[in-house]
Amino acid sequence: MKIISSYLSKTQESSSLALFRLGFGFLMTFSILRFWLKGWIKTMYIDPSFHFTFYGFEWVKPVGEYTYILFFICGLSAFLVAIGYKYYIAIITFFLSFTYIELMDKTTYLNHYYFVSILSFLMIFLPCNSSYSIDSFIKKKSFKYSPKWCVDSIKTLLFIVYFYSGLAKINRDWLFEAQPLKIWLATGSYDLPIIGSTLMQQEWFHYFMSWGGMFYDLLIPFILLYKPTRIIGFSLVVFFHVFTAVLFPIGMFPYIMIISTIIFFSSNTHEKILKFILKPFKNTIKKTIEIDNIKIKKNKFAISLISLFFVVQFLFPFRYAIYPGELFWNEEGYRFSWRVMLMEKRGYTTFKVVDNSNGNSFFVRNDEFLTEFQERQMSFQPDFILEYAHFLGDHYNNKGLNDIEIYAESYVALNGRINKRFVNPKIDLLKEKRGFNSKHWIIDLNEEINYL
Amino acid sequence: MKNLFNFIITSCIIFSFISCSSDSDEDIDQIPQFDRSSILKNYADNIIIPRYSDFQSEVLKLKSDIENFTKEPNIVNYDKAHNSWFETYKKWQHVEMFNIGKAEQIMYLNTINTYPVDELRINNNINSKKLDLSNENDWSCQGLSGIDFMLHGVEGTKEEIIEKYLTDPNYSDYLNNLIEIISNNTNTIVEDWTTNYKDTFIQSSGNSNSSSLNMLTNDFVYYFEKGLRTNKIGIPVGYFSGGNTLAEKVETYYSSKNSIQNVSRDLAAEALIASENLFIGKSSSGSTGPSLKSYLDYLYSSNVNENNLSPIILNNFQKAKIAINELDENFIDQINNDKSKMLNAFDKLQSIVVNMKTDMLSILSIQVDYIDADGD
Repeated sequence: MKIISSYLSKTQESSSLALFRLGFGFLMTFSILRFWLKGWIKTMYIDPSFHFTFYGFEWVKPVGEYTYILFFICGLSAFLVAIGYKYYIAIITFFLSFTYIELMDKTTYLNHYYFVSILSFLMIFLPCNSSYSIDSFIKKKSFKYSPKWCVDSIKTLLFIVYFYSGLAKINRDWLFEAQPLKIWLATGSYDLPIIGSTLMQQEWFHYFMSWGGMFYDLLIPFILLYKPTRIIGFSLVVFFHVFTAVLFPIGMFPYIMIISTIIFFSSNTHEKILKFILKPFKNTIKKTIEIDNIKIKKNKFAISLISLFFVVQFLFPFRYAIYPGELFWNEEGYRFSWRVMLMEKRGYTTFKVVDNSNGNSFFVRNDEFLTEFQERQMSFQPDFILEYAHFLGDHYNNKGLNDIEIYAESYVALNGRINKRFVNPKIDLLKEKRGFNSKHWIIDLNEEINYL
Repeated sequence: MKNLFNFIITSCIIFSFISCSSDSDEDIDQIPQFDRSSILKNYADNIIIPRYSDFQSEVLKLKSDIENFTKEPNIVNYDKAHNSWFETYKKWQHVEMFNIGKAEQIMYLNTINTYPVDELRINNNINSKKLDLSNENDWSCQGLSGIDFMLHGVEGTKEEIIEKYLTDPNYSDYLNNLIEIISNNTNTIVEDWTTNYKDTFIQSSGNSNSSSLNMLTNDFVYYFEKGLRTNKIGIPVGYFSGGNTLAEKVETYYSSKNSIQNVSRDLAAEALIASENLFIGKSSSGSTGPSLKSYLDYLYSSNVNENNLSPIILNNFQKAKIAINELDENFIDQINNDKSKMLNAFDKLQSIVVNMKTDMLSILSIQVDYIDADGD
């Protein structure tokens, strides 16, 4: 108890949090802008007539043309976070709007969006505006120190992201078949100059990258935590993420990780970086009175909440263990667990509607309801298949077909395996409830891929 | 501790540098390289351009036969025009899948083979002497499917149809206009391929969304699923519409309906052969070259894919051919008399679609859509 309490009263220079806030805020502003300019708000959220929702969050839907306003609010709050103006309102707004956006349609689910969501949730409880911020300028006082646990909590989250994605790579396909990297490097990276048609085609290189990637993910948090290896660690971070950014269409993720891992450096370094970046505002910053220590309100609520948050973060990725069947095939408990880039998975799924009133049956043309992107995501993910089947059920009920059954014709290819039937074609999906119960209607892969 | 870490890191870095610099030189000799632009070159030189040229000459012949028929509407000229139309339609099956480059820009596919046609709108166009058919509502009023209606559907029998052309010059004008549009568009496309597009096409062998190999493969799979499987078989047999068959939605409906000639099965069979030819890289003269199949074979031999995919796909092509050849020459009759055979043919085509969309696109890393993926 004593140890905990003395740890909680330890302090660290606020510049670490300030730099992190600045980097995160501007990166998010840019992210939102990029998403907007690519036209994805329209194609992902406005054009589709149907949206795949997260179970329990069916009420979170795009709001038509107002979705643009939602993105605007999200981008603006990210900017306010960056400059540290009305920080708490800004970060709460950012957390809510960003999370709302991610919950609108799970077709666009990415692990790093989830990372941004929970990181911004965490930041609600961190005094990131206590120095180098507009807030501190307006109040004319900044705090030189803030609690050490604040910076540590960000490090812990990054630790989880790397370490767990390393753990997830300990699986048969990744280590002993070098899949899916083998496919992605050999055929997906063909157009890289020089190495595309040479190095990327070498089998040893596929294994080297797979094993290297696993060790990198497992070890990098330690390498960053340990001061003597920190510079090497950060160079590896930059090299690795830039390399993957060149190889794969992974958007903002590499940059988010590069900027985030700067947190592992000392406050001294952060201070220097801030001084360098903020040179033009040197005089303004001087006008604020620097107070040595932050008034730590012993915020028991925040600390308990964050402790609980991390307990959940540590345990949640293991929830798959309560489900039978192969995780990579059934995908029960697959998301929100830092399982990234582990699968080249594609499916082909169509639905047969049987009208019991006259015995007729017909197949659904998915393109009537889904965009190409949605159809592709739906075709190999069981929860999508079930939700869509229920949507079709409702759709045809409304059209006056009241006594119907819906069956899926579904085939999935995973990590280079020949396609295999995915959904039991004899099961009426309308009789299967959505939820967290095990999906017995998936046909077993009968292979073990996941090890842990 | 510190030394251990430094040792691991340094050795990793050294190892990666050594392996990058030395092995890549040596291994080039050991593992034969696959040049993806060789697929594109073979496709352009031996399939796409020759097939377009074939189609172009057939269109020219059809054009002169239609001119002759409209000048002198009689049985002999009629049969000539009809035969050319059928030959042209057959050649079309070999190019419909190349909805790329200029063809995509000018909506070539839609202007040539949209069916069923809009009879009411065509009749309005004829009577109002409308010649500009660039509006997308007019896609179903033109093309080879439009000519099907004009040559075989404006009346119930050959004699009555000829009579129509003898009495109403508007019909002649409309028909001539249709073949004129096809001819002009085809010339544009052939010229583009032979002058500048070919080089652009061959060089773009990468993996981006605008690379030729990705676009062509996506177009090919899309065509096979929609143009061939869905349009020729699925929709008319009622696969998507409950128990209701929609025989009036078959390709070349009027020629079959009015018993001019039963051609729907021949066209479907031709389209299947054309698809197989593209997959295996087979030219019209029968020689084969680098193709999607040989790329899959290479990936199998170089261990990227542990499954030998192309024999599976070819076997499914074989089954589909048998299923289509078992059908009645006249799809309307087949649908009305025994739709189970049509459904069987659909299933056989479907299994190829599954192969292509799951196994093949997966191994070739060809994306259907382009948006951020998860990073690591």
